[in-house]
Amino acid sequence: MIPLSADSVGKRYRSHWAVRDCTFALPEGKVIALVGPNGAGKSTLLRMAAGLVRPTAGELEVFGTPVRGGTHPDVSFLAQNRPLYSDLTVRETVRVAAAMNDRWSAERVQEVLGLQAGVDHGAKIRTLSAGTRTQVAIALALGRLPRLLLLDEPLSDLDPLARDETLRIIMAEVADRGTTVVMSSHLLADLREVCDHMLLVDEGRVQVDGDIEEVLARHRILVGPAADESAVAGTLVSATRTQRQATLLLKDSGPAPQGWTDAEPDLESLVMGYLRASRARSSAPRG
Amino acid sequence: MIWASFRLQRVQLLTLLGVLVVGAGVLVLLRSNMVDAITSAQLTQCAARGGSACASDAQNVFLADWSNLFQIARILIIVMPILIGVFIGAPLFAQELENGTHVLAFTQSVSRTRWMLSKLVVALVPALVVVVVLQYLVWWWLTAAGTLGPRVNGAWNPVNFGIDHVSPIAYTLFAFALGAFIGVVSRRTLVAMTAAFGVFVAVRFVLVGQVNRFVPSERRVAVDAPAARDGGLQVGSGWLDAAGLEVPRARSLAVSDACRTAPSGTPPGQEEFLACMRESGLMNSYALVLPESSAWLAHLYDAAIFGGFAVLLLAGTVWALRRQS
Repeated sequence: MIPLSADSVGKRYRSHWAVRDCTFALPEGKVIALVGPNGAGKSTLLRMAAGLVRPTAGELEVFGTPVRGGTHPDVSFLAQNRPLYSDLTVRETVRVAAAMNDRWSAERVQEVLGLQAGVDHGAKIRTLSAGTRTQVAIALALGRLPRLLLLDEPLSDLDPLARDETLRIIMAEVADRGTTVVMSSHLLADLREVCDHMLLVDEGRVQVDGDIEEVLARHRILVGPAADESAVAGTLVSATRTQRQATLLLKDSGPAPQGWTDAEPDLESLVMGYLRASRARSSAPRG
Repeated sequence: MIWASFRLQRVQLLTLLGVLVVGAGVLVLLRSNMVDAITSAQLTQCAARGGSACASDAQNVFLADWSNLFQIARILIIVMPILIGVFIGAPLFAQELENGTHVLAFTQSVSRTRWMLSKLVVALVPALVVVVVLQYLVWWWLTAAGTLGPRVNGAWNPVNFGIDHVSPIAYTLFAFALGAFIGVVSRRTLVAMTAAFGVFVAVRFVLVGQVNRFVPSERRVAVDAPAARDGGLQVGSGWLDAAGLEVPRARSLAVSDACRTAPSGTPPGQEEFLACMRESGLMNSYALVLPESSAWLAHLYDAAIFGGFAVLLLAGTVWALRRQS
């Protein structure tokens, strides 16, 4: 069953389309990286999938059920600003969240809260560090025993150690329960280690959707003389050119012509290439 | 869910509890002290019947001691609705929307409507209980003061009207719903508090006494009842002709002007004036009075208007929150 699919989904805020004509179907049991620059529509997409925001156009489906005005029982959503009541203690926060759910695993919550240094249950939320707040918010999200976990910037505001630990919690969840995870982030290096699938969004549209290994294998970075690009075969995604040298990101390219060096891109350079291309398209004169 | 709502409203609920306990204690004490004061000053008869039963010295001493306290108690009941609207109604949803904590609730399995209703009930019901209890105790106290207290001004007195019967409840409902609604729409606590205060005061001020027009008035012919001494409210007056029919206002004014300017130049006495009026066919003056016994009807209309506003605003709150994203 497809955990999350979108059919020409769009969301307009006044005259601005935050998300436009997005169509995709995500594979089950995978960790999906939702990547894109700030303001690309990642958060809006996740909020729509969580049932917080109603799409202006199109429809999202979670496990075959259309998302309408509420969060699907099998979905947990970690919001970017980690909404928690700052006056409550961790213990009270857990109790409030438990009271708001029909299906709830107190053990799972305790397990996550007990990870790493362990969270002090008596501490008020406002006294916690950003990393601990995220840990509490993830614990609440996992307490719902989700089959689809939507994480909006789970790694932002975290120091490298906390980032590593947070990723470990998420990976353990995937390994234990086969949960599908959709995770938005700018931290491409971190995502590369844990994600199987990528959804690259820019200007509100899906630019790349596929298994990361396959996507990377289909692309090449060719570096060669700027004067002669005629021998290069394949679909040009983007190019950076200096006076003497051209660096080209190509999709489905043929063998590198003479005088060109050829390498498989890493995730970061692939994403950069696509973002550069979509920037160039949007700034080019229309018509 | 109810526990969660209680926990999130803890500060407001504890404040209400404090107001209730302290307020009730103070009112009970004040009443018992006042009853003692009335007895020891031998004003019991005066309080019960008023008028000639009152020896002016003792009465003046009593009033100097107590009338300020009466005013404070009345003002407390008058302002309680808006305090509840501003400090409980307005932040109820505005604070969640401002801090983004509503996202936590909206992504759990509880429905938005249930979450809302649970919060509304936990915030509103205790506030209403406090209003009802304090209103009752103030009424109980002021009633014991009899003609020495402000109740002597009758049920139609605007301040007395505002603290009587179902009106305080209706005002509280309206203020609370207004605060909650503006809070959801503005998503800013401070804006909601300020706007709720302004709108409530304006609406309350504009509507003072407006319900009186829906209450049927009694026609009292001047000879029978000279004025509204029995707590009624005079809402009109005029003259009757020999057949007992009301004389049009323009004519009665013309005649009374003519009768007032006697040809001799000296103003006529009351008897002369009335005789002059009778000659022109204006037999009796009358007053239109809302009897004190119909005040309950005005309270019901008042409650219907403010309660109706409250219901509309609460429905608007639910609607706005359901489409909130």
